[in-house]
Order: sequence, then structure tokens, then C-alpha cells
Amino acid sequence: MRFLVRACAPVAVLALAACSSGTSTPSPASPGGAAPLTLTDGWCKSTDSMPAMSKEMTGCFGTLVNTTGKELKISGGSTDAAMMVELHETVKNASGQMQMQPVPDGFTIPAGGSFALKPGANHVMLMKLKGDLKTGDKVTVTFDTSAGKGALTWEIRAFPGAEESYVPSPSNS
Amino acid sequence: MNHTTRRTAILSGLAGLGGVAGAATLAGCTGSGTDGSGSIQPPAGLSGPSARARAFRGARQAGIVEHPQPYAAFVAFTLPAGTERDALRRLLTVWTDDIERLTSGRGTLTDLEGELAAVTARLTVTVGVGRRAVTVAGKTPPEWLAPLPAYAMDRLEARWGEADLILQICADSPTTVAHAQRRLITSVEPLADVRWVQRGFREPFEGPGLPMRNLFGQVDGTVQPTLDGADDEVLFVGEAGPQWLREGSAMVVRRIAMSMDTWDKVDRAGRENAIGRRLDTGGPVTGGGIDAPLDLTRTDDLGFTVVDQAAHVRRAHPVTPHERFLRRPYSYDDAPEGSAVSNSGLIFVAYCADPVRQFVPVQARLAELDLLNIWTVPIGSAVFAALPGARDGEILGQALLS
Ligand code: HEM
Ligand SMILES: [Cu+2]
Repeated sequence: MRFLVRACAPVAVLALAACSSGTSTPSPASPGGAAPLTLTDGWCKSTDSMPAMSKEMTGCFGTLVNTTGKELKISGGSTDAAMMVELHETVKNASGQMQMQPVPDGFTIPAGGSFALKPGANHVMLMKLKGDLKTGDKVTVTFDTSAGKGALTWEIRAFPGAEESYVPSPSNS
Repeated sequence: MNHTTRRTAILSGLAGLGGVAGAATLAGCTGSGTDGSGSIQPPAGLSGPSARARAFRGARQAGIVEHPQPYAAFVAFTLPAGTERDALRRLLTVWTDDIERLTSGRGTLTDLEGELAAVTARLTVTVGVGRRAVTVAGKTPPEWLAPLPAYAMDRLEARWGEADLILQICADSPTTVAHAQRRLITSVEPLADVRWVQRGFREPFEGPGLPMRNLFGQVDGTVQPTLDGADDEVLFVGEAGPQWLREGSAMVVRRIAMSMDTWDKVDRAGRENAIGRRLDTGGPVTGGGIDAPLDLTRTDDLGFTVVDQAAHVRRAHPVTPHERFLRRPYSYDDAPEGSAVSNSGLIFVAYCADPVRQFVPVQARLAELDLLNIWTVPIGSAVFAALPGARDGEILGQALLS
């Protein structure tokens, strides 16, 4: 699959990175040139310090960047580290508490734009983890996007937050 | 002696360390960082909230030859029982990334208060390992990476003792230090436990005409190895040391209580006699300004040496040329405990290539005879190996873990 890459968009991203942020992992799915989907400052919450009962799943955060000149949709993903990958949003439930749930239509990143994944907001959820995600390791997640598959590598970090409760979608309960 | 020279003011301490380039890069993003007050001001970028000490990457870690920033935290950690090499690798991976981000004004990956990280304030974080961490990594610790000999005047408390890892966190802002400390502790929370924290300070307004003074009022840190490269073999591990520690340095951290109550009873002449240097200028009691050489042989009318036989500087002065090290001390003035009204002293920090060869002979002489011992008591002691720097693409401890 080939992408139309508008020259100005990646340049803007680079200029910003020089001032504000660090690691950016390109997706290798691109056939040369910039990967359509990249990740800046991506990290997943480690599970090695979690109580056993919480180790089932964990959240991933960072900034997704669409380097193409077209809107990019992410519909799902997969990883060797977990049975399932879900795209989550965090919403207020009927009793006023924050809880996370799968987004029905996936994440949409505008052409040349970015999409923030943050604790307490949109994030990627690794469900039914196959083992501990250890602080200081990395994990790779491959996403299904409107521009093809894209693999992104996330750092694994200890984090005391991101403890929102989870409401499974009807499809995977 | 001609190998030693006074450490000059903040500016010359920074010049030539690459700090200008780093600061300039950041300044392009966040502003120059000078306050425009017209008082003594270092060139733009060398001070102020967004100042950077130097680029994080390099053969050596920052925080050794840089002029000491006024606020510091020393945080010692132990590795949980059963820690294996891979866990140490992961821990140093996290710290490398965290420190690189923090020293360049960015929050750590998990940081929800990045605004605090934006105030770099010349932050440096220096990582050291203790004997057990080296063993965990599968390497042979150098002989000196062990507790110092016990000295008669020691009253060591276990709570300030040896540990597996240490962070020396220094900055111009105490908020910057506190934030870096918090993030660096929580980021390795499953991998290492905090053993002790020692917080220290120096004169925040230190600069030309305003030297570092300890809480006894003495000008401290005057006679030092040179930091322009000529004394590198005094300060950094070279060919003689283990391969994995080349360009690293030994780090001795002694917590020395200073008895303010008994010091208060001593007159100024007695105080100057105890050190062998004047209180006002910091110059030798044998005359001259702060840079004047010490004359250990001069006698007074009665035939006594002007510098007391038991004066601190006489006893501490190198007897052989290799008995030298860099002192990077911080005062502490913590909340008094029990019925005491003060809890003050010095976090005595010394860097050198081999403390058994360079430091221990001096410490042994001071333990045997030093007027200062009347008012000072070592209550903590720990020895670490400050790792070499992380070059591009490396983590701190790359060679240790290879
Ligand atoms: C609370 C404890 C201490 C205080 C208050 C203190 C204070 C001082 C002062 C005021 C000076 C003179 C100015 C200077 O050159 O810095 C000095 C010099 C020095 N001190 Fe200390 N010191 C303490 C502990 C130590 C320890 C534990 C050592 C090493 C084992 C040490 C080693 C030295 C050396 C090497 C010098 C320079 C001597 C020379 O002129 O060649 N000090 N100290
Ligand atoms: Cu979630």
C-alpha cells in the first residue's frame, strides 16, 4: 500500500520535536519514506509493581502522529504481550465516576495531525496480559489502520496512576 | 603545592564544559533565562530557570566537575533481595531516559507535572553504584568499593550507611531537585527501595566575592584539584581501574555532624587556629589572600608553627602528590531531634579515582589528629562508584552490564 505524503506535514512535526520532545518510533509498515503512523514519548504502565489482581491489563500512552496527508483511522491492534488490544476512552458514568470503555469507532487522526493518549483520557489498553510488563522493558503493538498495519514500540514504565475502572464492551465480556 | 588551585567562581567553573551550547539550544525554545537586573549576571543561558549545566550525553557524567549548584539531594537505594542483572539493566535504562529528559527541561515519560521539569535550573543527576550492584551486574568490584576503615572518632549510624545505588541530584532550584528526586524514585519503584535521603545546600548567591561557607562560617572547598583536565587522573578512573568504570569516579559520602553548641563557645582566634585559615577571607593564617599558598613551616616569636600542628589544613594537606580528591560538600540543617536545638553538619562528598590510595591516607591522618574533631562527628559513611557517562545510544552502566 502506498501513501501520499505531503511534504509540509512531516517538517512541522520535526520542528516541534526539536523543542519539546524526544523519542519517536516510526512504524516499519511504510514502504520507504516516513511511516504513516509514528509514536512520540510512548509508554505503557508496567505491571511488576501491581497487585496480582490488577495485572490482567494495562494502559499505554503517548502521542500518535499521522505523517500522511490523509485522515488516518486506527481500528484495533495486536501484540505478543497480550491476548487483546483495545482502544479506550475515559468517560463519566451515571454515578459520576470516571471509567474507561472501548471507543466504538476507533481513533481518528487528522491529516498531518497528532492524537494524544493520556492517563484519564484516550489510551490504548492491553487486555489479558500473557505475563508481566516489566519496568524498563519495551513492548511492541501492531495497529490496524486505514493506511495499513503499523508497529509501534512503547517503553514500559512504573506509574502509580491510571487506575480507572473498566467497563468491558458487550463484544468481549 | 602547585598541582592544586582554588576553584574559581561559578562562571569559570562552567566555561568550557559545553554548557553554553546546551543552554543556547534550550534558550531558543524557552527564552534566555536572565533576569536583566543589572547585578552580577553570568552570560545569557548560564543561569536562570531554564539554564542547563551541560548536555547529558558524554564520556563522563555531569555533576562532578561542574561547580556545585546550591541545592542537592543524595538518595541511596537498595536492590531487593534476589535482584538479577536484567532488573539492574532495566533500572538503569529508566534512569538514563528520565535523567536525559529532566536535564533538558522535559518531564519524564510518566510525568504529570512537566511544568516543574521545565525549570532545569542547571540540574545534574549523577548515578553511582555500590558493591552489591556491581556483583549483581556480574563484574568484580574494585577493592576500594567497600566501607572505609573504621575510625576512632566515628559514631556511624546504620541509617546513613552503605547502599546499592546512589543519585546525586543538584540544581539551582530546590523545587527542581525535589521534583527530580520524586520522579526518579517512583520511576524505579518496583526495582529499588530508598535507603536514605540526605538533603543539602550551599550558598545560593555564591559567586565572585561570595564563597561557599559551611555552617561554621568557614570558607570551604578552597584547595582542590584543577578541573580543566590537568588533574583528570586524580578525579576519574583510568587504565588502572576496571574497564567498566573508565571515566567514572569513586564517590565517598560521609555525613558529618557539626556541634553548633560547642562551636559557639570558641572565639574567632580559636576557630581560625583549628582550621589554619582565616574566617574573613579564607586565606591562610600565615598571610595573604584566599589564593596564597599555605606556609606550614613558618614559626612565631615563641617558636611555634603559625599553622597549628593539629590544624585541619595541615593534617589534610597531601603528603604525597596522589593524596588528593575533589571535595563537593553540602551543608545540612535539618529539624532538630529529641532535646537538641540544632541538627547541622556537612554532607562531605569526595570524588577521586581510587579512595584507598588517595582519600584514606588523609582521612586516617585526620582521625588521628585534627582540631576540627572537637566539634565534628562522622555519623554516616558510604562509598560508591559513579558510573561513566552515557554516550549516544548508551544507557548509564552500559559497560558495567555488558
Ligand atoms: C565537618 C567536617 C569538615 C569541615 C567543616 C571541613 C572544613 C574545611 C575547611 C574550612 C578547609 C579549608 C578551606 C579549603 O581548602 O577548603 C578544609 C580543607 C580541607 N579539608 Fe576539610 N573539612 C571537613 C572534613 C574533611 C574531611 C572528612 C576530609 C577528608 C578526609 C577533609 C579534607 C580536607 C582537605 C584535603 C582540605 C584541603 C587541605 C589543603 O589545604 O591542602 N575535610 N576543610
Ligand atoms: Cu483502558
